Amino acid sequence: MTLRARDLERILEHARAGYPYEVCGVLLGRLGSAPARIEAVREVENRERESPRTRYVIAPEDLLQVDRQARQHGLEVLGYYHSHPDHPARPSETDRRLAAESLSDGVLHMVVSVHGGRTTEAQAWVFRDARKQFEPEPLSVDAQATPRKEEDSWL
Amino acid sequence: MAVKVQIPGPLRSLTAGAAEVDVEASDVARLVEVLQERHPGFRERLLDASGQLRSYVRVFVNEEDVRSLQRQATPLKAGDVVAIVPAIAGGR
Repeated sequence: MTLRARDLERILEHARAGYPYEVCGVLLGRLGSAPARIEAVREVENRERESPRTRYVIAPEDLLQVDRQARQHGLEVLGYYHSHPDHPARPSETDRRLAAESLSDGVLHMVVSVHGGRTTEAQAWVFRDARKQFEPEPLSVDAQATPRKEEDSWL
Repeated sequence: MAVKVQIPGPLRSLTAGAAEVDVEASDVARLVEVLQERHPGFRERLLDASGQLRSYVRVFVNEEDVRSLQRQATPLKAGDVVAIVPAIAGGR
């Protein structure tokens, strides 16, 4: 998947600012392009209350709002990101198990490792129902910041 | 009395890529059956073996989660927008 440098930095800053808690958000783009191109990212609140250092929850109500706004701008939910405070940038068994239970086929996940409040690594993954596993997704950063359209300013 | 159903990305393979489909249904239970008839695979993805909505699937009618309404008996009327939203969670 490809995303703009400024969007990647936005995700990393979100992960740093949220440390030592997990943070999460949504990756938006247009379905059907290969490789997937992320056109915008959107932070959402981690609704996990008991163990926010080691768990994240995106409330369906929050996701619905992001999805509705995205559709109005011709974008779709392509995936999600979340941080792993003091933990590697790869999906955990919890990530795998919960993705396997949900509607996840082809869904992108970016995992950001944060150590001591400093982001160290971001890796992209895609979930495949057939194997019930995440597979590595090549991550390409577009350093040429393409100006957003005016109507995308809501992001 | 058509309602508009918003299809999440992981289920687009069932609708030949359609992001929205119009369905004639009087309640949520019937809506799932109509989706299944037109796009086989929906029932299994949305309902568990006992016929209840799976825990990871939330169905919203306009802005309301059907769990806070009448679940699958939630009535639908023309012009309603139904969204199928996956539950997203994880952690290390």
